[in-house]
Amino acid sequence: MIGIDTKIKRGSGELAILALLDQERLHGYEISKRIAQQTGGVLQFNLASLYPLLYRMEKRGWVTGKWEEAQSGRKRRYYHLTPKGKKQLAPLREEWARFFEALRRVAGVAHAG
Amino acid sequence: MLDNLKALRERLGNLGLRPHREEEIIRELSEHMADHAAVLEAHGMARDIAAQQALNSISDWPDLRKEIVAAESEEPIMNYRTKVLWLPALVALTLSNVLLALMQIFGPPTQFHWVGGDQGMGPYYVFVVPWLISQSVVGAVAAYWSRRAGGALRHQLLAALAPAIGILGLFLLILPWAMIVDKHVSHNLKLSSFLVLTVSWVLLPAIPLLIGAAPFVRKPLAQS
Repeated sequence: MIGIDTKIKRGSGELAILALLDQERLHGYEISKRIAQQTGGVLQFNLASLYPLLYRMEKRGWVTGKWEEAQSGRKRRYYHLTPKGKKQLAPLREEWARFFEALRRVAGVAHAG
Repeated sequence: MLDNLKALRERLGNLGLRPHREEEIIRELSEHMADHAAVLEAHGMARDIAAQQALNSISDWPDLRKEIVAAESEEPIMNYRTKVLWLPALVALTLSNVLLALMQIFGPPTQFHWVGGDQGMGPYYVFVVPWLISQSVVGAVAAYWSRRAGGALRHQLLAALAPAIGILGLFLLILPWAMIVDKHVSHNLKLSSFLVLTVSWVLLPAIPLLIGAAPFVRKPLAQS
């Protein structure tokens, strides 16, 4: 059975990954680095949590991985957002916005900024 | 120097996935570990220690294995076999039959060659020459489609040969049945006629289908 924390982490990770890939193609390590950087370390995905998530998203057809040459000359598996993933992004954003709004109302959880 | 690929294979064991997918996952995780180790190295850590530490960052290997297998087992909307075999095969079959119909209507007359030269008697070969030529395109389309979808070599070949296999299936299943229930099908259809028909409609088309597929049949794109 999947715990609530796992579900939240997975759900937030999906949104974060889709949002990042909406801007540019990234390989797995870059994705984990960007998420950590852009969330100030609040959201962190290591190898064990990131790749199963990416593989699930790939299975659903939201992202697609292709081996491409990186600037370093190494072949890396770059993830691209698919049209299906792009369609998924807006509803996911709305869903999370509603979730935080609901939490704000019930528990006084406010935006930190 | 630590071999990431070997270390990952040892720790994850057999994932029970398609071999090329399994290989791809191991390779991808290995690249991630190499990046992690490079960052540690940039912070002054010795190369071997950095590589070992990157590997040690995974605390629960059985859980990682379980998560990967679960993610890979998630049923996609279109399953693997449909994507790599049935869909390209169906397209090839349809395309082949549409082309046959068009060429029989608009093309040059169909050529009949009676075995033994005795016109009107016994079994005969049928040649729809433009259609036979067009089968190379059909084979190419099916093989390329299957390969793009990540099909193995056998899927690519089977998809390319689908029009010929389809007709063979028709001969093997429908014809005997039709002979029983359909009064219009000749009951004295001889084995020789059946073999000659098989040559005309199955073996001959299979040649251009394979010729067309040949340049495209190779390891799936996802593997390269």
